[in-house]
Amino acid sequence: MFLDKVYSKKKKTKKEGILGLLLSLGPVVGFLLFGLVPMILAIFMSFMHIEGFSFEGSSFNGLDNYKEVLNDPLFWKSIGNTLKMSISTFINIVLALIIAFLLTKNIRGKKVFRTIYFIPYVCSVAALTIMWKWIFNTNYGLINGLFTPEGQDPIDWWGRADTFIPCLIIMGVWSGTGYGIILYSAALTNVKGALYEAARVDGANGLQCFFNVTLPAISPTSFYLLLTGLIGALQEFARPQIISGTGGPDNVGVTVVFYLYRNAFQYYNMGVASATAWLLAILIVFLTIINFTVSKLWVSYD
Amino acid sequence: MINDVLTNKNKSARTSKAISNFCIYLVLVLFAIWILAPFSMVVITSFKTRKEASDPEFKFFPEKWSFEAYKDVFTYVAGVEENEIPVMLRGFINTLIIVLPPTIIGLFMSAMSAYAFAKLRFKGKNWLFSLLLLTMMIPGTIMLTPSYMIYDMLGWVDTPLPLMIPGMFGSATCVFFMRQFYSGIPDSLIEAAKLDGMGYFKIFWKIMVPLSVPALFAQGILGFIGGYNDYFGPYLYLHDPEWYTLQLALTSFSGTYSINIPTVMAGAIVAIIPALAIYVVAQKYFIEGIATSGMKL
Repeated sequence: MFLDKVYSKKKKTKKEGILGLLLSLGPVVGFLLFGLVPMILAIFMSFMHIEGFSFEGSSFNGLDNYKEVLNDPLFWKSIGNTLKMSISTFINIVLALIIAFLLTKNIRGKKVFRTIYFIPYVCSVAALTIMWKWIFNTNYGLINGLFTPEGQDPIDWWGRADTFIPCLIIMGVWSGTGYGIILYSAALTNVKGALYEAARVDGANGLQCFFNVTLPAISPTSFYLLLTGLIGALQEFARPQIISGTGGPDNVGVTVVFYLYRNAFQYYNMGVASATAWLLAILIVFLTIINFTVSKLWVSYD
Repeated sequence: MINDVLTNKNKSARTSKAISNFCIYLVLVLFAIWILAPFSMVVITSFKTRKEASDPEFKFFPEKWSFEAYKDVFTYVAGVEENEIPVMLRGFINTLIIVLPPTIIGLFMSAMSAYAFAKLRFKGKNWLFSLLLLTMMIPGTIMLTPSYMIYDMLGWVDTPLPLMIPGMFGSATCVFFMRQFYSGIPDSLIEAAKLDGMGYFKIFWKIMVPLSVPALFAQGILGFIGGYNDYFGPYLYLHDPEWYTLQLALTSFSGTYSINIPTVMAGAIVAIIPALAIYVVAQKYFIEGIATSGMKL
């Protein structure tokens, strides 16, 4: 009788084990098939010369692809362009924090404000980019229509190398703050009131409270926003591509992914494109590691 | 005398409070204007005539509100054939066909997986879960070239399959979010169900799923909007206008009409409205989904 029970329990655990594995496996298999297999393939491809989209007639060529990319000034320029565009990530974080902090104050209409701020986030990049392409349009755009002084030539915002990226940054700040506001709002409501009271008792004023209590308490959110924001920004493609399919004036619209895309699908050089992808991945991993290391200094998980 | 001082103090406290409130409102309103102004100018421009919009003399409002642009959006057919479905409408239908199945099936797969990770004991559980977490960190760009070649060999390029099949296996983010939710459901509930003779899958289907409808809804909406708004994926794999999603239809449409500004703006607005409508109606789920999935890292 007793043995029977043990036996049935064992059977049950075994059944649980198999079923658990089975149920959990969907996303894991998906990752193996559509993530891991391509990733390993990408390592090989980056060391290969590949004709078109087929492995027929392809051969290993050592580090040639990497050399080609690293010796291409346009690659380095694309990294610079991408990093410049990612400036909006930092502005977004600061702005989002300020707005989210103001939203914690006891005021009416919080919900309405939050709803409005979040609107750009739900809109498609394609539609928003088309809008902003018009806003900075030379002859018929909103900005030039409003602000061009009488008798002066309108500024060709998207056609000048020194205004192209700043315009994208402005658009990035406009569309990207909402996400941060939502995350910060959630984080700020979770800061324990007791912490503030303790600070008040110690004689801290509002500003001291903010810098010594609030900021450390929500630092994990800041860290998360910085990390995901940068990873996203480094893979920028759609916005500059929709604004200028040819890479913008003096190639300032060529991001790393744009550079990769051109190698792969315009020059049909999948080997070089794969090498570019790995270089980008290394850059991202490098920045992530820096982020994690530096975060130990300013992120508190208490 | 003392009373006077007190009321004065109260008064000054009240005024300083009023001033600070006013400043807060000012900042919040200005920020709202900053967000809404581009939208409203785009909407206003979409009601101008083509001639008016390309007039070097800039005017805020159209002299006569024209619906010409919207007529273009809803009637433009790329080809010359009769009875063709308008480009934007076809784009919308294609988007639904491409996005809905992976969203729903993927959600189911993720939820099942999340349930197993949260409530079942099996070998290699922690290891598998760490693997899944790791995938969230991998930049998708690495997979671009090899995936394209694999799909090309499979004959999937120029079909919606590369955009549909991978999503059907579920996503790591969704598993992560749902696992968090299922972990919060007390084990005693499951034990009770087991005593009633329910199997593990039945427990999932009859107890866990009904309990997690709001969370599933939040994830489903996020997934759908993400797919609906995706540009790069369709741009990579769909070269046949027959299969263009709404976002691709919009960019090709705006290229065709590039000098007809009101029509391009109307196109962008029409493309945004479905996502915006979902957001406004399901705002609670939407924001919850985002706030929680971002919070827990």
